[in-house]
Amino acid sequence: MKNLTALLLAVGVVAGCAKPAAAPPVEVEAARVSVLPSAPGDAAWNAAPAFTAALLAQDMVEPRLLEPSTPTVKVQALTDGTSVAFRLTWADDTKDDLPGTGRFVDACAVQLPAAASANVPAPQMGESGGTVEISYWSAAWQAIVDGRPDTLAAIEPRAAVDHYPFEAASLPEGSKEQKDMALRYAPARALNGAARPASGKSVQDLRAEGPGTITPAAETKSAGKGVRDASGWEVVIVKPVPEGLRGQARSQVAFAIWNGSHKEVGPRKMRSVWIPLALGAGA
Amino acid sequence: MARVRNWQIDREMSYWYPENRPKRQFAAVFDTNKCIACQTCTLACKTTWTSGKGQEYMLWNNVETKPYGFYPLGWDVKLLGKLGGQKWQGKRYEGHTIFEAAEAGERVHGWRPDELDYAYPNIGEDDCTGAKLERGDFLTLPHNRWFFYLARICNHCTYPACLASCPRGSIYKRPEDGIVLIDQSRCRGYQECVKACPYKKTFFNPMTGTSEKCIACFPKIEMGESNQCFVNCIGKIRHAGFVSKPENVREDNPIDYLVHVRKVALPLYPQFGLEPNIYYVPPIHVPRPFLHQMFGPGVDHALEVYRGAAEDPELAALLSLFGSTQYIVHRFKRENDTVLGFDEKGDEVVRVPLREPIHIRQAWDSARSIARVNVS
Repeated sequence: MKNLTALLLAVGVVAGCAKPAAAPPVEVEAARVSVLPSAPGDAAWNAAPAFTAALLAQDMVEPRLLEPSTPTVKVQALTDGTSVAFRLTWADDTKDDLPGTGRFVDACAVQLPAAASANVPAPQMGESGGTVEISYWSAAWQAIVDGRPDTLAAIEPRAAVDHYPFEAASLPEGSKEQKDMALRYAPARALNGAARPASGKSVQDLRAEGPGTITPAAETKSAGKGVRDASGWEVVIVKPVPEGLRGQARSQVAFAIWNGSHKEVGPRKMRSVWIPLALGAGA
Repeated sequence: MARVRNWQIDREMSYWYPENRPKRQFAAVFDTNKCIACQTCTLACKTTWTSGKGQEYMLWNNVETKPYGFYPLGWDVKLLGKLGGQKWQGKRYEGHTIFEAAEAGERVHGWRPDELDYAYPNIGEDDCTGAKLERGDFLTLPHNRWFFYLARICNHCTYPACLASCPRGSIYKRPEDGIVLIDQSRCRGYQECVKACPYKKTFFNPMTGTSEKCIACFPKIEMGESNQCFVNCIGKIRHAGFVSKPENVREDNPIDYLVHVRKVALPLYPQFGLEPNIYYVPPIHVPRPFLHQMFGPGVDHALEVYRGAAEDPELAALLSLFGSTQYIVHRFKRENDTVLGFDEKGDEVVRVPLREPIHIRQAWDSARSIARVNVS
């Protein structure tokens, strides 16, 4: 019995001397840097702490996502005091960047409250009087930024088209008349609608006050870039700190991931709850 | 879900939004017995509205041969199969509408077409039921072997599934005429409407990233004129106008007269629950069980009335107005052997004889003592 007691004591002493396992971070910590990285491969990310955000299927409002897909997203953040750069890394076996009927694209989004408040807006797109600012990145938009032609042939390589009326020989190529006529058959483009980002961007800034209210911001100030390998996506979104959060050392952030091949689009998505966000010494 | 009144199924039903009918409802009657599937309507629409990039596969108007034609593939039979039994008790529908049958997490019971489902717009064209003609398959009514042409546009439903399904509220029904539109500045291309519409008359445009649909040529409607697919119809099968609720019927309104008074024109798949506003005179030569499923319990009465039209001056008068004017006829009146149509202001816009005068050109020209030949 004495021997057993001594052994247990010895084990206890050794265990007590061992280095304790690091507790997982409980918040997204945006470390302060002087220059923000704009690409996922930038060396600055090597030193940025990582937070693994658990994702939930959006099952609060119809249409819901009833079969969960992407379980987590790894989040890193850096700030220069005026903007925050987020790097989101998640697993996704399939590259979905071609839009089409019944075909959806991979995407992600970062959400911040528009203003500091004791009453944090609802995590699902905010609420009436509780505006959130969202930056949405789409793999389809990234492909166009990366050089895929914004043409039907790029989306439907096997399509054969006889004729478009606005490409008649009588209309000079590139003329105002030709462009005007083409726009008449594409009202969403003529209106600069919500379905497409500003030219040359893979990210769109949006505002919302609850599910179904998302509206493009007057101007997209955020930027982003996404790259992928066989295992999934790495996306950087550089987002100006919302005016209402300027000078705040702490806030909240939420994330959403869409897996196109899982038919995820709009409200059918994986999303996080609000996660505490530490903005260095205050942004 | 709200409770709303749907007169086509003679009961209240569940819908995503409360009942909110427009001041008046754009509607039309299509006479399937006159359609020859020339597709002039299809081309009129295509040329006018969907000749842009990303719209190549879209047919806001199409004509398909029933029972084997579909655009997109299997659009109706897939939903009929999913919806299960659709029982009528007299005029009352006892089964589930697509709103009442919505699965957990969904607003509408729908299905998502595959891209290739749109690749066969003329599948089944002119295909007759049955494998081959056999002894005894002489002409009877209904025919032993049959097909018919079904021309289709958006039904501008009173309870649109597309509108109910859009999580962004990008689809709206115009209060002035009930035309259902997708706000192209607001739509973000989630394609929920494509999944929800049982008639599959919303389409995703991959070049704009938005969904698009038939707009009922609203600029023409606003000018008191009929839609492009109507005025170009060679068979004169279509008549555009406005339909009233059953309690507000006006007998001199052509659509009210055909739909409510004589009940000769019927909605397409009323059991889906959308209260669609394109009404069809059913084909006379098709077996009744098929027509009952497609047009509801009013088929027998509608066909009885329609087959008596030749001896029914009022109905014959109104049917003569089909395709006779580019203007929308808000009121019609028969004066002996002539039918008159009036626009919204009450001005006469068309006058048509019930019977065209017949002139028989004799084969023998006695003045010249020569036989005439039929060359132009």
